[in-house]
Amino acid sequence: MTASLVAARAEPVVGRSVFTALATRELRRFAVNPVFLAGAALTAVTVWNAGRTAVTEIDTVTPYPAIYLGGFGMMAAFWQTRSMRASEPIVGTTPATLPIRTAALCTVAIVPFLCGVASLIALRLYLPVAGDWVYGAFSPSARIAVLVEQTVLPALGGPLLGVALGRWVRFPGAAFGLFLILYGWVTLVTIVSLTHPDPTQNVALRLFAPFAFFTSYENVTEVTTWRGSPWLFIGWQFALCVIAVLAALLRGAESRVRFTIVRALPMAGVAAVLLLVLATGGGLAHAVRA
Amino acid sequence: MTTATLEASVTTASISMRGVGRVYGATVALAGVDLDLQPGVIGLLGPNGAGKTTLIRLLATALPPTEGEIHVLGRDPEVPAQRTGIRRRLGYLPQEVGFPRGFTASTFVDYIALLKEWTELAARHAEVRRVLDLVGLSDLAAKRIRAMSGGQRRRVALAQALLGSPPVLILDEPTAGVDPEQRVTLRTVLAELARTSTVVLSTHQTEDIAALCERVIVLDRGRVRYDGSVTGLVARAVGRVWLADQPDPVATVSWRTGTGRYRNVAAHAGDGVEHVEPSLEDAYLLLRGGSPEPEPTREGAS
Repeated sequence: MTASLVAARAEPVVGRSVFTALATRELRRFAVNPVFLAGAALTAVTVWNAGRTAVTEIDTVTPYPAIYLGGFGMMAAFWQTRSMRASEPIVGTTPATLPIRTAALCTVAIVPFLCGVASLIALRLYLPVAGDWVYGAFSPSARIAVLVEQTVLPALGGPLLGVALGRWVRFPGAAFGLFLILYGWVTLVTIVSLTHPDPTQNVALRLFAPFAFFTSYENVTEVTTWRGSPWLFIGWQFALCVIAVLAALLRGAESRVRFTIVRALPMAGVAAVLLLVLATGGGLAHAVRA
Repeated sequence: MTTATLEASVTTASISMRGVGRVYGATVALAGVDLDLQPGVIGLLGPNGAGKTTLIRLLATALPPTEGEIHVLGRDPEVPAQRTGIRRRLGYLPQEVGFPRGFTASTFVDYIALLKEWTELAARHAEVRRVLDLVGLSDLAAKRIRAMSGGQRRRVALAQALLGSPPVLILDEPTAGVDPEQRVTLRTVLAELARTSTVVLSTHQTEDIAALCERVIVLDRGRVRYDGSVTGLVARAVGRVWLADQPDPVATVSWRTGTGRYRNVAAHAGDGVEHVEPSLEDAYLLLRGGSPEPEPTREGAS
């Protein structure tokens, strides 16, 4: 034993805030998480493969970043959140409160978000689409919105949902279960829209999800553009992200922080509902086939 | 105790407890505990279910009391800001600790150091190396914790508690599973730390308490049965421990020793028996089995 005992009696050396240091640590842990890395690699392979032949159905490419970055990212964030649970007796008696640790965990969503942005750029720049008609009857800006809601926002929201789930649910398979449920739900509401795209309740049902299709394809060159506003749908997705962060932060929050979160949650909920309603009512008056 | 003396004890003691109780549903884990703890090593003894871990968790701010008041370093753990202040000066080793998958000893202690606000990289790394060295894990710093033995894992958990040589160190079974050589090393570390820190040591190892502590607190069924010096507790057993060729029917506790003779402990020894010097374990067993319904006592009052 050569270490000094008495000399070490000092306050911790604080170089930067605990949150920043912790967020950096969590980001690094997330970036090397095998599940997330697998998702990122699959996204890259999918985008790369899609660029080899002319794309006539954009919807055959865009869901994959959502699944791989958002879905796999959700599972990775969930497991990372749960990873310290066994050490909670120690971790829970450190000066870093649970909301600070949760906030640091939420920053991991930056990594898949940036991957989602990279996917979006790759899709826009390198995807050999057969023509602008592939995007349906949307304006150029709305086409971007569709790509953003299908690639970037799920990549951001999935990990945030994973953190919230990790804070509140003990079941180890919860993230995988939720992933399957969301996948099933999006598939189900899309199938409903395929046959009856125009009724408002069907539009609302289709958009009541963290991911939504806005077009459908028949034969090779027929594209049907569905109702709904992609831009407002992004607002709805962003509101869901905010709700996930607030729900995650609520765990272990005390006094003023708890009060603030409890007040913010209903506001975020109202904003989400409002944006969903507006997204449902916005866009085209009825489905357009071209 | 008057209000004035209570306030004075709060400011002078590192830890002060007044009428502290903790209830889990219908189970009373701890009741009416009054303690003032100053720097030094304070041993905590008691049978399983006596309330030791509950008391430890209360002191470590891991659990709020259901009644009474606790002050650690003059701060009230019930107030969130003050609780954080306590945690900045607290080292805590819980009875049971799990470790995250894939972490090495070094990364785990480093992570906890970060949570303990050691955000400056070089200082943190130096501190992590220091505490790992203290518990004899320097050579195993890069080894995955899940691949370590139980004793090694225990030392990893202890290392994080030693970060920053905290003024209050709460240890629940620190030497469980640790080999004798390391136990001696850890005793040296704790004894050195106790010059300026309040170290509360809960253990079933009476030899650790005998070797380290001046003061011992014995808990039973959630109440303090004894609070005083180790020598005072041992002195209670003088003349009440004897060796015999057979288990003595009057003995409260009796067991066969390595020499083949029986060590007997009882409140009243028979005449003409071969008395031996009592150990802390004898005294503890005597206290535990001495009377069927003993009243809680404090050394000065009993």
